Amino acid sequence: MTAALYHQLLDLTAGALLLTAVLVVWRRDLAMIIRIFAVQGVALAALVGVLAAHEGSVELAVVALGVLVLRAGVLPALLRRALAAAGDDRRETRPLVNVAASLLAAAALTLLALAVSAPIVELAPSPTTRAAPIGVAVVLIGFFVLVTRRRALSQLVGFLLMDNGITAVGFLVTSGIGLVVEVGVALDVLLVVLVLGILTGRMREVFGGTDLDELRELHD
Amino acid sequence: MTALGVLGGALQAVLVVVGSPLLVGLMRQVRARMEGRAGAGVGQPWRDLRKLLGKQPITPRGTSELFRVAPVLLVAMTLVVAVVAPFVSTASALPPVADLIVVVALLAHGTVVLALAGLDTGTAFGGMGASRETTILALVEPTALMAIFALSVPVGSTALPAIVGSGLQDPARVLSPASLLAAVALLLVVVAETGRLPVDNPSTHLELTMVHEAMVLEYAGPDLALVELGSAMRLSVYLGLLANLFLPWGIATEAGVLALALGVLALVVKVAVLGAALAFAEVFLAKVRLFRVPELLAGSFLLALLAVTAAYFPA
Amino acid sequence: MSVVGAALAATGASCAGGVLAALAVPRARRALVVGMLTCVAGACATVAGAAAMLGHTWAAELPGLLPLSGVVLGVDALGGVFVAVGGAVAVAVALYGIGYSRHGLDGRAVQAMVPVFVGSLLLVPIAADVTTLLVAWELMALTSLLLVVAEHRRRAAVASAGRWYAVMTHLGFVAILIGLLVLAAPAADGSFAAVRAAAGALPPVAAGAVFVLCLVGFGSKAGIVPLHAWLPRAHPEAPSPVSALMSAAMVNLGVYGIVRVGLDLMGGGTRWWWLLVMALGAVSAVYGILQAVVSSDLKRLLAYSTTENMGLVLVGVGACGLFAATGNPVLAALALTAALLHLLGHAAFKTLLFLGAGSVLHATGTRDLDELGGLRAGMPVTTAAFGLGALAASTLPPGTAFVGEWLLLQSLVHGLPAPGVATSIVLPVAVAAVALTAGLAVATFVKAFGVGFLARPRSDAAAAARESPPTMLAGMALAGVACVVLAVAPTVVLPVLATVAGDLLAVAPPVSGAVTVELAGVTGALSPLLLATALALAAALVVVLPRLLVARRARRAARLWDCGAGPLSARMEYTATSFAEPLQRVFDDVLQPVQDIDVTHHRESAYLVQSVAYRRLVPDRVERRLYTPVLAAAAAWGRVGRRLGTGSVHRYLGYGFVGLCGLLVLLVLTR
Repeated sequence: MTAALYHQLLDLTAGALLLTAVLVVWRRDLAMIIRIFAVQGVALAALVGVLAAHEGSVELAVVALGVLVLRAGVLPALLRRALAAAGDDRRETRPLVNVAASLLAAAALTLLALAVSAPIVELAPSPTTRAAPIGVAVVLIGFFVLVTRRRALSQLVGFLLMDNGITAVGFLVTSGIGLVVEVGVALDVLLVVLVLGILTGRMREVFGGTDLDELRELHD
Repeated sequence: MTALGVLGGALQAVLVVVGSPLLVGLMRQVRARMEGRAGAGVGQPWRDLRKLLGKQPITPRGTSELFRVAPVLLVAMTLVVAVVAPFVSTASALPPVADLIVVVALLAHGTVVLALAGLDTGTAFGGMGASRETTILALVEPTALMAIFALSVPVGSTALPAIVGSGLQDPARVLSPASLLAAVALLLVVVAETGRLPVDNPSTHLELTMVHEAMVLEYAGPDLALVELGSAMRLSVYLGLLANLFLPWGIATEAGVLALALGVLALVVKVAVLGAALAFAEVFLAKVRLFRVPELLAGSFLLALLAVTAAYFPA
Repeated sequence: MSVVGAALAATGASCAGGVLAALAVPRARRALVVGMLTCVAGACATVAGAAAMLGHTWAAELPGLLPLSGVVLGVDALGGVFVAVGGAVAVAVALYGIGYSRHGLDGRAVQAMVPVFVGSLLLVPIAADVTTLLVAWELMALTSLLLVVAEHRRRAAVASAGRWYAVMTHLGFVAILIGLLVLAAPAADGSFAAVRAAAGALPPVAAGAVFVLCLVGFGSKAGIVPLHAWLPRAHPEAPSPVSALMSAAMVNLGVYGIVRVGLDLMGGGTRWWWLLVMALGAVSAVYGILQAVVSSDLKRLLAYSTTENMGLVLVGVGACGLFAATGNPVLAALALTAALLHLLGHAAFKTLLFLGAGSVLHATGTRDLDELGGLRAGMPVTTAAFGLGALAASTLPPGTAFVGEWLLLQSLVHGLPAPGVATSIVLPVAVAAVALTAGLAVATFVKAFGVGFLARPRSDAAAAARESPPTMLAGMALAGVACVVLAVAPTVVLPVLATVAGDLLAVAPPVSGAVTVELAGVTGALSPLLLATALALAAALVVVLPRLLVARRARRAARLWDCGAGPLSARMEYTATSFAEPLQRVFDDVLQPVQDIDVTHHRESAYLVQSVAYRRLVPDRVERRLYTPVLAAAAAWGRVGRRLGTGSVHRYLGYGFVGLCGLLVLLVLTR
């Protein structure tokens, strides 16, 4: 792989990562959000795949495959099942911060990510570390979604966005965490999603909805 | 001012004036076929224009000179853009006017003139259309300028010939993330500024949803012909700009007959394909509520900002 | 004596003559004589300023005039710009004022104040030592305050506006006073030359504090958010010629102060100063225009637009300081040129707009856009003038503000590959702010012109409006000519401004060209003249071509489309409030308007609506959030303080006694 092509592919996959995160903020339809999340999984897998091809590492290639299966296949499927169980209410109707403001916030977060990761980039300037701020931006946007959405499912997507971002930063900055670590993290995430899926299901059975604001009433 | 620039400018003016109604006709035809209708044919807008031009001019009572002058100004401003921007050749007829900021602002000025004419009628429709159109214009402007910024930073100039020329010399720059993001952002700008779906429905006459049509409701006869021609020209100028900023290939760089012919052909093909694609996509879109439009524009603004940061922080 | 000195002496003499005339001439002739003398003063000042810009400097000391330090005067190129702008605005306004004064403004005191205000405006940029500057500044504040409250007997709002203005302007004065005194402390004397030489001796923290204090003081005069609260009160409530003087000439001096202290006396400073200036400028620009776009009071709208434009100028000044601090003086000079050109353009169009608004106010008695409309029939010249001003203000080509904004954007575009993370974030955000401002400015002035002057009259007063007297029209015409010249041929002044900016930053002029504006050091060119010519040609072509193709038929008048329901009435029109409603909804979170809808039902049936009343108020949010707590705290302190003063003389004497004893005890303890 030539340096120029490697560069372009890295740009493209990192850009897709960020763009999908932005689209998650933009859209309200939960089914669409899950589809976008699956696309992000593909982009992340492609990013890892590009790194693997560049370094000629089989281990990384396996990780890329794992990422693809988990994040573009298993997790979206789980989310879709949770959504199907939720019934008619398939839209994030009233996020705490309206969509236009969320998008501007996402812009601000991206700038913030670029600003805070500047020292990291300066430490070892290379194509991979230069793409790392995008991973940080995805983490921040994920956190933002987690904070501002009312539906449990979209919050879950926010959490998963954060995880995608962290994974991306990990691969970009350290040029490959060990296989074992990645597998461990992946299992954790899977577990969390399963537990949360069951939890939302129970919640809906008991309270008839998953609007988290209503949970406050339990405290009162 | 070079020979190529003057030749190209004259060609472009003729091409835009003659071709833009055909572009509208093509887009309507694509839409009709997609919806299973036969359609009126590509030449229908020209037939409409001819009919309108032959009618008696009508002045609604209570309107001022501004109302009569507005269509002329709209077409004139678009015409200037059609002459100076690099559509057929990279050289401009008037290089000190062929600046991306000037061109976009000039096109916006056309909208403003029509909005004032809408207000001048003193009807509820005119005011409503003007208010909505101005709102959209005010929100589109930041996105447009940010996208311009993203395109200009790598080139180091906002001059259109420089940007298009650099795209020709360095094809990799055209495919860079900054350029792609800016392209999407500018596409949304074009959709909003030319009143296409999902921002405005060009074929509606329902009071609650009209934007552009409400504003020009009082026009009739030759005045209406100019308004229609102006709108069509704006659409083709915007699509031409979009095509040449991101796909500059085929544009003439020297003053040969062959090169100019190739430039004309390339422009026609690019704009026709873009227009047809836009019409194709519109079949699947519904108009969004007016108060959802800011969300769309905020999204495109975000894309433009990302384009700027991507231009500045090359990964 | 040089040209500059002679012209300035003539200015001073005319101002003094104006004051004497105001006191001596009988009422029938007073306005005419005072107006003409002020006009002459303005014209002389314009000549002096122009000569100074071209490089003729002048300095003088008048030791006996003030105790201790005397008065030190001096004009350099930078000061010349502001003298010329102030003088030119004064010419148009004084001419206009002759006709305007008939409406109860021809009293002795008011007429005498106008020349003094104009003189003090011109004195500030020619002051060449700290004391003179402070005295001139205070004189300007006091005379403008007296002029603001000129109509206080007629409207209660005037007194309130006057109080706000008095307090804010004096707080600003205190900030400047402290800042300049600290700055001048290490210098041999108070003259600018000595201060400039000694400014390097200040420790960085003190220098930063001086700059921030001066920024607060001068920025409050320029109407920068959050220190703008006085501006949208005082400018609308002042008589219109005074509004024009304040909005087009006085606010500029805030910018002058920042440039003079920050760039000239303190020699640039560090990066964060200018990032702060840019941030404040960007916030002011966006906030100002947002308030303007939802405002339906014509003069309040213009006042907020002043905040916006000063914000844009400060973005340019901030960019200049930033580029200078990061080692790019050529771009810095470009940014400063852009700021100065925008300032010039703003002075021209804001004079025109405020004078136009004054004519409207006088013809109709209202500033409420919702009550206006249809003025083009009764007041064609004023309508044309206001339309020209609106085009100039709305940053569309070929308009006055467009060239300045284009230059500003050029400097920002070329400045982006600048070092530093903060810079690379602030510059795109500044571009976004400038862009948003441009879009909203278009909406604002489409509303002001389209709703206020076009369409049909919304009230009897608007329907009965008649054109203003010739002197008022002449004043507007002068401002209009300035707008057109700056829009079409900015190259008349641009090279001079570029030289001023270049000299201040010690580089070659960043802009040149006779027909085309050409940038030095970076690529970029713009020719407003060619653009205007091309537009005119294209318009002629569009008119002529169809006539060649199709035989022309006579125009016929027809009814407006009324859905077949009978004639349309003015109540069915869009008003300014309804025009701005979509934008107000979009920016709901920022503006937080207060809406109130009352539905009255028929007595017979609850389902039939008799009338609906809608009221909307957009309170200034910064004011409510920032000033209300401060005012409340001050009031609380006042209540505490009142307990001390009970009226008992013994108590007051006792305070003095206890204070004296306490002081003595303190002396004993600390010795």
